[in-house]
Amino acid sequence: MKTIIIGLGNTVLSDDGAGVYVARMLSGRFDDDVSVIETESAGMNLMEMLGGFDRAVLVDAILLDGEEAGTIFRLRADDLKITPRLSSCHDIDLVTALELGRQLGLHMPGEVTIFAIQGEDMLTLSEGCTRKVEESLPLVADEVEALIKGLDGPRISIGLDERKNRDA
Amino acid sequence: MRRVEIDPITRLEGHGKISIFINDDGSVENAYLQIPELRGFEKFVEGLPVEEIPRIMPRICGVCPAAHHMAAGKAVDNVFSVDIPEVAKKLRELYYMAHFIHSHAAHFYALAAPDFVLGPDAPKEQRNVLGLIAKVGLELGGEVVRQRAISQDIQIMVGGRATHPVWNIPGGVTRALSEENAEKVKSLADEQIGFAELSLKLFNDLVLANETYLDLIMGGIFEQVTNYMGLVDENNKVNFYEGQVRMVDVEGKEMFRYSEPDYMDYIAEHVEPWSYLKFPYIKERGWMGFVEGAETSLYQANPLPRFNAADGMATPKAQAEYEKMFEVVGGKPCHKLMVNHWARLIEMLYAAERMQELINDPEITDPNVRVIPSTTPREGVGIVEAPRGTLTHHYWTDENGIVTKANLIVGTTNNNASINMAVKKAAQNLIKPGGEVTEGLLNMVEMAFRLYDPCFSCATHSLPGQMPLTIEIRDLDGEILNEVSR
Repeated sequence: MKTIIIGLGNTVLSDDGAGVYVARMLSGRFDDDVSVIETESAGMNLMEMLGGFDRAVLVDAILLDGEEAGTIFRLRADDLKITPRLSSCHDIDLVTALELGRQLGLHMPGEVTIFAIQGEDMLTLSEGCTRKVEESLPLVADEVEALIKGLDGPRISIGLDERKNRDA
Repeated sequence: MRRVEIDPITRLEGHGKISIFINDDGSVENAYLQIPELRGFEKFVEGLPVEEIPRIMPRICGVCPAAHHMAAGKAVDNVFSVDIPEVAKKLRELYYMAHFIHSHAAHFYALAAPDFVLGPDAPKEQRNVLGLIAKVGLELGGEVVRQRAISQDIQIMVGGRATHPVWNIPGGVTRALSEENAEKVKSLADEQIGFAELSLKLFNDLVLANETYLDLIMGGIFEQVTNYMGLVDENNKVNFYEGQVRMVDVEGKEMFRYSEPDYMDYIAEHVEPWSYLKFPYIKERGWMGFVEGAETSLYQANPLPRFNAADGMATPKAQAEYEKMFEVVGGKPCHKLMVNHWARLIEMLYAAERMQELINDPEITDPNVRVIPSTTPREGVGIVEAPRGTLTHHYWTDENGIVTKANLIVGTTNNNASINMAVKKAAQNLIKPGGEVTEGLLNMVEMAFRLYDPCFSCATHSLPGQMPLTIEIRDLDGEILNEVSR
């Protein structure tokens, strides 16, 4: 299965760079059928990157109300009303990008998983993440690797449903 | 008094919020665009070696990295007082033309066109690029994607990278253009001209030929009379990469022009307590508030303002379109804000034609693309036109070339006051006493804002540090009705 892993973020905006750091940790861990890239882009550019792959994993930072920094969420594309980078950008959001790509006849990944790491500070201009986010980076990398390789690894990420149940 | 918020503003990079204040009788008292986001790039770069600046500044954001790369590159050349080789200038401009096409195409097809093709009051879930394609056909959608990829590829062939380039260095660029890539770019440039012409035809058929839309464009709701700014070449033609900044008044008469080092003599910035974004104005007139008209000290900088501030376009097809546009809109200067959409597409055509001129220049593959700076660095200013307005970068260094201070006036910031006034006027015209505030009406208010192609990722850059922002909502007696803190 042709797979792409995309780390999203801006590495000079503290925790905003989390996805990029995870992508860097993952490079070199896979065979040729898995591409690992890092990008600051979104929207149409993202659509172009996703074209031609069967499966995609995106890693990004997220800011949800009341969550502890470093918490890792595992989301589907449809959940994405909640991340700033993937839902409000200069052009189109991820769900639209996937649909647009399909309509235009690009082979878009049928399976899209998003790992989102709760940030603490995504506004201060600084390289590197805050401590709790930093600690989560290798855990996310390991989980992405396990997912792609079909291994039984520890799963620490939580889905939105699980978040709801947890809070209930 | 009620408050209606459009939050977050859809189809906008960065974060912004429009608050509309409504009186008891349902009329609009005021409306603000507030920018509750902040990025302190000016402080961030202090202490860094100045030669690193062109590489770092594009990271402000992924929307117009090339504009920051160019402005920073030119500023840093000036910090070292170095005149770069002609071929390096041409290559930078070539690269930059591809970026303009890429950016303007995204704005028109993803952000602007859905309002016109589907209608401003079409349901939100249809009023996007998918709805656009459903209406005008998949073929066009494919073409947009293909052409955007082409402008991206051109940037890669010329400058190595499209997003976050690292190619401009003090004294020129890091690599020359190979003959092989030059040949490829030649044929691609022709295709980009065709794409710009196709986009203009689409605008003609779908927008101008539709009386409702034409009325919307030409009506008073989206009109604002200010001064206009734009970079012009020695013949007063629009230029994106270099020249002098020219300011014209509300009648189109030249007020003044300045070269890069002198911008502070002409432009000053006003601060309001309710926004992180500054409000630039014409210094000699002084800050006169949020007013339009002959006396105003406000100006705009964007595609239409560039057209107003210049005498024409430097390429033949774009010049013909420029003349046609001003004929249709009733002469120059034009104060109809929505005409920015049209001017933006003509700029796309200009960029493609200019790209073709540059790539066919026999010198374009000259390998001598850099001179080594040999003077002690001091201070330098670089100015280019970003897709969304004039962009100024200014750096000061110590004698070792370490940045001691930086100042930026970015594209959208120029238009900050104008955007606020446009939003207020649209809200006051569209939201009437007794009427229902529908989603369609709010979208039309938002259209007043979207036409600027605003981007706040880099526009907000005041410091210090963190940004506790409190928004107070008051009635006319000054009593606080609501307070939001974050």
